[in-house]
Amino acid sequence: MGRNFRAARVYETVRDFLETDVVKRAAGQRPRKPPAWFSAVQMIPPTELLTRPHSIQHSPPDANARRPHNIYRPTKIVYPEDQMRYQFYKDHPWELARPKLLLEHDGKDGRHRDWSKGLRQPGMALSGESVVQRQLWLLENTPGMSVAEAYDAARHEFYKLRQQEDITRRIAVEEARYVGAYFGKGPIQVSMINEDKAYDEWRVWAYGHIQKAAALQEQGSAQVIGTPDVLDVDVDDEGAAAAASEAPAIPQ
Amino acid sequence: MIIRNLAIRHGRRALASPVSRPWLRLFSTQPTDMATAFAPAPAPTPAPVTTSTSSTAVTQQSLDEAEALKEAKRIRELQFKNMPGEFRELRHLEKRTKSLGSEIVLDAYVPDESLKNPPDDASLEMLMASQAHMGHNTSSWNPANSRYIYGVRAGIHIISLESIASHLRRAARVVEEVAYRGGLILFVGTRRGHMPAVVRAAELAGACHLFEKWTPGTITNRDQILASAPLLMVNHQDEPLNGFVEHLQDRRPLVPDLVVCLNPLENYTLLYECGLASVPTIGIIDTDADPTCVTYQIPANDDSLRAVSLIAAVLGRAGQRGQKRRREAAVEGIVTWETPDEDQRFIDRKIYLDEKEKAEIEAARPQMQSGPAAEQATREDFNTEQKFAEAFKNGNTGGPQGRRGPPRASRRR
Repeated sequence: MGRNFRAARVYETVRDFLETDVVKRAAGQRPRKPPAWFSAVQMIPPTELLTRPHSIQHSPPDANARRPHNIYRPTKIVYPEDQMRYQFYKDHPWELARPKLLLEHDGKDGRHRDWSKGLRQPGMALSGESVVQRQLWLLENTPGMSVAEAYDAARHEFYKLRQQEDITRRIAVEEARYVGAYFGKGPIQVSMINEDKAYDEWRVWAYGHIQKAAALQEQGSAQVIGTPDVLDVDVDDEGAAAAASEAPAIPQ
Repeated sequence: MIIRNLAIRHGRRALASPVSRPWLRLFSTQPTDMATAFAPAPAPTPAPVTTSTSSTAVTQQSLDEAEALKEAKRIRELQFKNMPGEFRELRHLEKRTKSLGSEIVLDAYVPDESLKNPPDDASLEMLMASQAHMGHNTSSWNPANSRYIYGVRAGIHIISLESIASHLRRAARVVEEVAYRGGLILFVGTRRGHMPAVVRAAELAGACHLFEKWTPGTITNRDQILASAPLLMVNHQDEPLNGFVEHLQDRRPLVPDLVVCLNPLENYTLLYECGLASVPTIGIIDTDADPTCVTYQIPANDDSLRAVSLIAAVLGRAGQRGQKRRREAAVEGIVTWETPDEDQRFIDRKIYLDEKEKAEIEAARPQMQSGPAAEQATREDFNTEQKFAEAFKNGNTGGPQGRRGPPRASRRR
């Protein structure tokens, strides 16, 4: 693909164009006026374009490689937290199901955090990220502490706080119920009700079909054997018995 | 109710409440003038409160305050009643919900904060919070952008925040300088959601905006497409000038002096036309865009409306600074721009014709007396080019513009 440098060379183009005004100059006439942007672009030239500097190396080059590869390609950004984060979410996959705030307000959120004070931080919900940051702080500030020890320490602080959260929530519900709160049916209860309803409807429908089939069979076999006992359906609860009474009469 | 507590419960309120008018009459030593008693309350004046003798003054003051409050409430209610329906509902909701919500979150995120309060410069934190550093998937990159890329993270390229900030600063300086030199700036953002940013930036910088499709040929074929676009001739203090109606009908439509494009990928035609017409351009270059399509690149995430709004706001602010500097200079008599050639030609021609007419009138007077003068007048027609050259020279020195400064064509505001 060819490159189009017209936009980058807009100043040179117009400068050269203005300098070609020789006929008017020779005649003592006024030369062409430059456009309004001319002196601005002259003062502030565009940046260097299309040079490919050696990319920033975030990780040391592969010592075993026989010859260097992809030296102009951007390299992977790696942080020490990455491995810790991977480990935590591998051990606690359901922590990923919790809602997470991705929005930053002014970009200075990190300045309000002090991980020496534990996992609870102002303006931040308790999450796996708290464990990772606490672990990193412990690693950097406790002499002789291994990664696994720091992980265990941070992890146990986290468990304790999660338990506290659960207890607080449960007690709040209990207190609210005590003073008369009603929280309605939960999603599991609602779905169980729906399922029961659908099952009862099906039973009515199936019972009708069985009765029809029995009637047909009775018609066919009456001539041979006599009247059989066709209502051989196991009707053990009241709902189904009521449904059976509502079922259409067997056609004679 | 327990009677002995009555005085404790209601005594304070009874003392604090303003004394009613009939009771007030008992305290006064002068006969009540009915006209003044029921006249509208005057503005509350500070009254001495500490002395015990001025109890009537205190009651009068509290009376005035109560009246003023009542009046203010009446005006508020009237205003509320006269509001358009939906706006009234909005105000009502705002009033009702003002006290609701948590006080834990003190710094709430406002999506159009950068447009409401445009910053003078974008800090690295602001750029990062607005996700300006996020590029595209590594496989869809344009290798020409490798100098702006910091690294790869989670499968996408991360644009270097330092390079965003430095390029943005450079672009802002260009916008400011072009605005200072009276150039016509055009802000273009044609993606969905770009409209508020583009309009706000244009409003700040006194520029034009485009948030719909660029009509191909609006620069290269402007004589056809912009034929009916209204123009205005203004002087150095942006005051409209008369006497150019005929010229503005004949004049070619304007070309922008600077184009700021928020989504260069979708505006290839616009940028190509700018290249043909030698118009410098500023564009937000994501990692998949071609950096050579614009003169000044701002490497940033063009898919984040927040980042785009921030960049547009910074550029708009820069334009505003430039316009302010230009107006301040104009007040001091410094004109930072030159009249375009096309308009200057018209002015010179006009001056030449006026002078010629004057000379003809002058010449007509002696013509009645003697013959050679008439000969002189007819011969003058053959000196046209020489006269033109003289007029050009005069025009060059800035003579013909007169007191009001040189005119230039501007878009109609």
